[in-house]
Amino acid sequence: MKLSTQTQANARDAFVAAKQNGDTYRAIHAARELLHGEGGVRQMSFLVRELETATNWRVPLNSLKVALLSSFSIEFAQPALVAYGFLNGLDIRIYRGGFGQFRQEIIDPSSGLYACAPDVVVLAVEGSDWIPALYGQFLEYWEMGFEALIEQTCEETSGLLRKLRSRSSAAVLVHNLAPPVSRQAGILDGQKQIGQAQWVHRLNEGLAAVCRQTESAYVVDYAGVVARFGVERWYDERMRMYARAPIAADQLPHLAVEYLKYFRALRGLAKKCVVVDLDNTLWGGVLGEDGLHGIQLGSEYPGSAFVAFQKELLNLHRRGVLLAIASKNNSADVEEVFAQNKNMVLERKHFASLQIHWKPKSESIMAIAQELNIGLEHIVFVDDNPVECEEISQALPMLSVICLSGQPERYSHALLQDGLFDSLTISSEDLRRGELYKQRDQAEALRADSDSLEQFYRSLEMEVTITPVEKASLARAAQLTQKTNQFNATTFRYTEADLSARICKTDWLLATVSVRDRFGDTGIVGFMMAQANGKKLNIDSFLLSCRVIGRTVETAMLAYLCDQATRQGLNELTGRIIPTAKNSPVRELYGQHGFNKSSETESGESFWKLALEDHRVAWPDWIKICVTDSARPRP
Amino acid sequence: MEQKIKQIMADVLNLDAQSIDEATVKDHTESWDSLNHINLVMAFEQEFQVSFDVTEIESMLSYSDILEVLDRKVQN
Repeated sequence: MKLSTQTQANARDAFVAAKQNGDTYRAIHAARELLHGEGGVRQMSFLVRELETATNWRVPLNSLKVALLSSFSIEFAQPALVAYGFLNGLDIRIYRGGFGQFRQEIIDPSSGLYACAPDVVVLAVEGSDWIPALYGQFLEYWEMGFEALIEQTCEETSGLLRKLRSRSSAAVLVHNLAPPVSRQAGILDGQKQIGQAQWVHRLNEGLAAVCRQTESAYVVDYAGVVARFGVERWYDERMRMYARAPIAADQLPHLAVEYLKYFRALRGLAKKCVVVDLDNTLWGGVLGEDGLHGIQLGSEYPGSAFVAFQKELLNLHRRGVLLAIASKNNSADVEEVFAQNKNMVLERKHFASLQIHWKPKSESIMAIAQELNIGLEHIVFVDDNPVECEEISQALPMLSVICLSGQPERYSHALLQDGLFDSLTISSEDLRRGELYKQRDQAEALRADSDSLEQFYRSLEMEVTITPVEKASLARAAQLTQKTNQFNATTFRYTEADLSARICKTDWLLATVSVRDRFGDTGIVGFMMAQANGKKLNIDSFLLSCRVIGRTVETAMLAYLCDQATRQGLNELTGRIIPTAKNSPVRELYGQHGFNKSSETESGESFWKLALEDHRVAWPDWIKICVTDSARPRP
Repeated sequence: MEQKIKQIMADVLNLDAQSIDEATVKDHTESWDSLNHINLVMAFEQEFQVSFDVTEIESMLSYSDILEVLDRKVQN
């Protein structure tokens, strides 16, 4: 997926600005935007060059010296390695062995390999270079068999690893071999005798055994990587011939990402905790709106996709990864789901921490990090809402944020594809649940205080349109009154006829609210209805879809009502809160906007008022407001 | 298209895009070594969604050459 040039230009500027300020995490964020999708040669060249001259990162990068020994021109993979290394907080310095001289570099004690004292040595040898007999010359050797050749190759590898280990304590990553692109014997291959691919598998088993015998030597499943992306796309025969660079330019980032799994694990940077949202993440739909049995979870799509995702999370839990929840919901509702929804795969006990409330999610995550005693940089945050993801990315830039989009059947892939949780050691502790880790000293957490919250709101580039209800919006307005439960002050349910009757009355004011932001257009998501009585404007209904809670849209709505009241010569705005099981988010609405509580009943209903001469609700200045009368739009 | 070619060359070869013109040739540009030549080719392929054959790769030795080859390619 290619980004538009405009977005790429923005990402570049953002990167350069962050680099100048030494702001490591913002630079990483911008770099990730820039490389998003293809990670093209052009953008990587730019990035790598910029990184060379970056000297004042406030949060220092983790330095890693990598030696690349190869049978082909692996230099083309270097920019990807450096770029993706940076995305993981690593400063990767590369030593490249002479072309095709991987044996010499290892055997010769005075080689550049040992002189550069690498942390990691990568042995990237293509099967066709190492054992041409198994590849291009297969049919010549077919009759003779390949046992001897395989044994010889394993012996050679073993010897090389021993020599390497005797002179260096660097971790060693050994590519296994990808099967040949096509079978020389065609469909006959493997039928009557062991086939070409099967011999390569045997060799790979031998290589794995050899690596097991050497301390800190690991197999890179190159065969698996090539298979995953497709051998047809992986190789570029033209470049193989012309530049001895067999791997297609588009695929090089995949190789880099694979290496990064190892580098992260070796540097202790593997992620240790997943924080998940609930609505449209663990199940389809919104619990507060759809109810315990209305959420999508079960044997039919899309419920089945969410079940599959829960199973993957359970697998992570079994691997020793901590699970936590950060969700804007009523905790009572969530408890009900765990207790009563039979389709849930995950149980309450699988979660090491639950933060279920209406405060910003950045606060939830900080609370989780503190409770579980792990560093924020070890946390992966997973949510389907791009606005939440953006809030977290800005407030806590050291987190890995996975923004799930659209199709739940792709969630597992999004979570697992970069191997964020991969480690190279398995202890029995890892396999047990609920392991806690010590927090790292350096914490660069920005508190979600009012300054950064405002910055965040501004970054959303919100446009709010408030329009009097008319025939075209009548159905949607009525629907909102019937369906909205959480951010609904009075929860009065109205039909189209009810609303229609009030539209033409001059003492009634009915308006819909739509929101557009950087991520898209939500359509009509809010509704307000008020009646003038004497000098007062009494708010009968005030509601917002849960999709747009927590973004000060309600402030704009109240500012609108203040304006409308003043225009009509009224001097007081009154509101009413009728508490229900579901509307905790709206309880403090009027209090937070400067209204005074005038009374409260036994059942908990509260009445509020605002004297407009003393105090008005100000328009939030980070929102672009568009107020229309039916006749004249007025910005 | 000229602008885009110059910007790509600027990124890959570490040149100033404004200074790229008919005088910009591989032989006289220090950063335009064989490694970067391949990188340049790969970048053009990605950015213009085209594929060059080896003959074309070998013929793209200056800004003017590149312009000519891409012009032909992108029209087809």
